[in-house]
Parts: sequence; structure tokens; C-alpha cells
Amino acid sequence: MIRVVTLDPFDDKQLAKFNRTLYTAFGVGSEHSGSAEVPAGMSEPLDAEKLIDEVKGIRSYKDDKVLILTTRKLKDRELPSGVAPTAGFARQGKDRAILTIAPHKDLESAFKAVSRHALHQLGHLWELHHCLDPRCSMYPPWTPSFVQGEAIFCTFCREKSEQKIRLAKS
Amino acid sequence: MPEGSASLQLAVGDRVVYPNQGVCRVSAIDVKEVAGQKLTFVTMRREEDGAVVMVPEGKVLAIGVRKVASAEDVEAIFAFLRSDSDKADLDWKQRARTNLDRMTQGGIMGLAEVVKGLQVLSELRPLPTKERELYDNARHLLVTEVAAALSTAEVNAEDAIDIVLFPPGRERPKRTAAEFQREDGDLDLDSDLLGLDSDLDLPSDEEPAEEEPSEESESQEEEESSEESAPKKRGRPPKAKAEGAEGAEPAAPKKRGRPPKPKPEASAEGAEPAAPKKRGRPPKPKPPEVEGAPPAAPKKRGRPPKVKPPEGES
Repeated sequence: MIRVVTLDPFDDKQLAKFNRTLYTAFGVGSEHSGSAEVPAGMSEPLDAEKLIDEVKGIRSYKDDKVLILTTRKLKDRELPSGVAPTAGFARQGKDRAILTIAPHKDLESAFKAVSRHALHQLGHLWELHHCLDPRCSMYPPWTPSFVQGEAIFCTFCREKSEQKIRLAKS
Repeated sequence: MPEGSASLQLAVGDRVVYPNQGVCRVSAIDVKEVAGQKLTFVTMRREEDGAVVMVPEGKVLAIGVRKVASAEDVEAIFAFLRSDSDKADLDWKQRARTNLDRMTQGGIMGLAEVVKGLQVLSELRPLPTKERELYDNARHLLVTEVAAALSTAEVNAEDAIDIVLFPPGRERPKRTAAEFQREDGDLDLDSDLLGLDSDLDLPSDEEPAEEEPSEESESQEEEESSEESAPKKRGRPPKAKAEGAEGAEPAAPKKRGRPPKPKPEASAEGAEPAAPKKRGRPPKPKPPEVEGAPPAAPKKRGRPPKVKPPEGES
């Protein structure tokens, strides 16, 4: 089950549409599971790694994947090879991911790009790596063509995610 | 011999890399008796999923187990990935063999070479399924080792690698086969790139045999005249022609398929052409007719009538 938790107010209809997109992509139920508070002392831009660990008030089962959705900016990560633009973050194979819709104000104005980003982060939760196919949602998200693509997976990534989901169910 | 394994002294708690399996932690080194022999076994637990493997101490080096790469090695990896030095081998057999060696014995640099090579190749054309799987495996092993070496999350390690491979704000370049051309000029292209199917000039059954040499000689002349202006065709180069005496007629090109049957030569000029041979069963020879004899009654079909017994015998 995919549980979408919001840190800021979102339109319910847009959230329902967003959940339908996730359900279509993964074949797993997706729902809005309420909202949570940003931990005290954290300011914008938010540190994604820290926020994932510290955000409270999320109820989920062991096999659930939680996607935290926010309108606030996330801080770019300093990595040994350079700075990684960060619109989302997910720990490989774990259960929590975070995604921002910034610089857009609402889901409606950037629905396609946000959906594609969501698939990307949830894909990391199901142990998918970055893909070589520019049409796939697992393509590196900082490339210029990423936001123009559809919220879909390539054949390889789709099959791999389905396999992981089947294994998780059994 | 993989790098870093020349002098491998293992202790419990060490992090090692098992080729093709990933980062493991040495959980025990103990002596066990197997078939009457006392052997020292190194027990390793894979960090990813906790799978356990026991290896005799003497086999550890031969298998290719090595220590986790250092931060300096990772820097070298980034420098290699950033460089534009690696061109993929277009010969799939050679590529498969090289990649297999790199995966098992190449160390972390071998993994980076596989990832870089297949990534460059994917800029020319989509990878086939097996190589896509190989790419994913190599990437997974590279990411886990870089994460272990830098003590960071796997996602950060993967992003650090991909920032180099896919620089932000830039699209991947489209490669052409000419970029992969080696110094000897051989492209080593696979048959799908060569388009060999279109080069097969199978003889058609409908064309008359006599017209072919003239057509081909015309086409040869055309080819010779257009050789200088037309761009060089892709594909298999034509076979070298046998050198004959000057002025002699060029030998007809060897045709593919079954050779035509030799035609029967006419015995004399003006003789009637032989009637075309009919297909099917030959007609039965007619019995010689006797003059004055009545014509034979047509043969009745069906069962012959029973012979009546002669009357008055009983």
C-alpha cells in the first residue's frame, strides 16, 4: 500500500487524481493517509534526509511505502562528486520518501512532472536504480527532459518493480 | 588478481566485497572438520540481505574476495566516469567476455568500466535485455560499494555517480557508429546495424537466366561509374574478384541457390523442338489393332456378373 502523507494543505481532488496515477503505475493501492507536521526547528529549504527520519505522526504497516508530499523547497545535497539538485529523496529499499512540488504552487499546475517524480522516488523504495531510458521515470531527475516525460516506467523497471512488489506481498 | 586482494588478512568484522555478490561482513573465522580434514573457514554475511557464505581460507584469494574500496579509489572512479575515454566494443561476443572478466576480477574499477561502457553503448542504441540486466547488476554492485566506501546512503552514492554520468542541465549526447570506429577502420558492427538483410540478393525464379549477366554487367558499370561520387556503402565489403587476363570476358558472378538444369542440345538445325514433358502418370500403351476385328466392347465398371451354372447337370 502506498500512503501519501502531506505536510501542507493540498486539494483533495488533485490528491485523489495523484493517487490514481500511483495506483496505475504500480498496481498497488494508494491513498491519502492524512497530514503530518514538520519537526520544530527545521526551516526552508528543508533537509530531506533529516526530515524523513524526524517527521512524526505517520501511521503505516510494515510493508507500506510512505510518500511525504510538501510544497516547501528541499535543500540540494552536497555529494563527493558535486551538488545534486533535490526535488525528492528516498532511501533505497526502505519505506519512506519525500517529494516537493516546488517551485510549483499546487499539484494541478505541474501534475505530470510531480507524478513522474513521485514514481521515481517510490521506485527507489522498491529498489530500482536509475535507468538509461529517457522515457522512463527512473531516468535521473535533474536532466532537462525529465519533467517533460510521462509518468511511466520502461519495460525493465516495470517488471523489476512488479517482481519486488510480488516478493513483498509473499 | 583483483585489486586490493594481494595481501588479504581478514579479521572478524572486516567489510569485504565478494565478486558478483556485493559487500559482505566477515562474521566468523573458525576451523571445521570436513571429510577428516581440518579447514579454516571464513564466514561472510552479505549486508544487503544477510545471506551467509562460508569460504575455505585458502580459496578466498582465488575467488576474488577483496577489501572494500577506499575513498581514494572512489575518487579515481569519479575521474574515470567523468572522462570521455571509454568507447564500447561493438562486437557483442568480445564485449560480453570482457564485461564478465571485469565483473569478477576487475575490482571496483571493473564495475565502473562495465557501467560506463554500457552507458556509452546505450547512447548509440537501446541495450538488449541481457546487457540491460548486466548494467543493472553492475550499477547495483558499484553503488553499494561506493556507499560502503564513503559511509553514505545508497541513494547518495548513486546520485554521486549519476551526477558524473548525467551532468545536471545537460542531455545525453546521441552517438553514431562512426564514433566507435577503431583505428583499423573495422566497425565490428553486429548484423542488425549492418542491415545485412537488405544486402542479400537472392536470385528470383521469374527472371530469365540469359538476361541476368547483361543486367549485372550494366549494374557493375553503373557501380564503377558512380563509385567516386556515391558515398561508401555500409555493410560487408564485396569479395575480391579473381584476376584474369586482360581483355578476357569477366567471369559471371557466382549465383546463389541451385544451379539451373542443362538444356538438351538440339541435334540438328530446323529440328522440331521437343514437346514439353507432361507431368503425371504416362498413358497406358494401346494394344495393337487388328484390321477387320470388331471393336472391343467398352469395359464395364463394377463387379463382374456371376457365372451361371450350366442347366440340366444335376
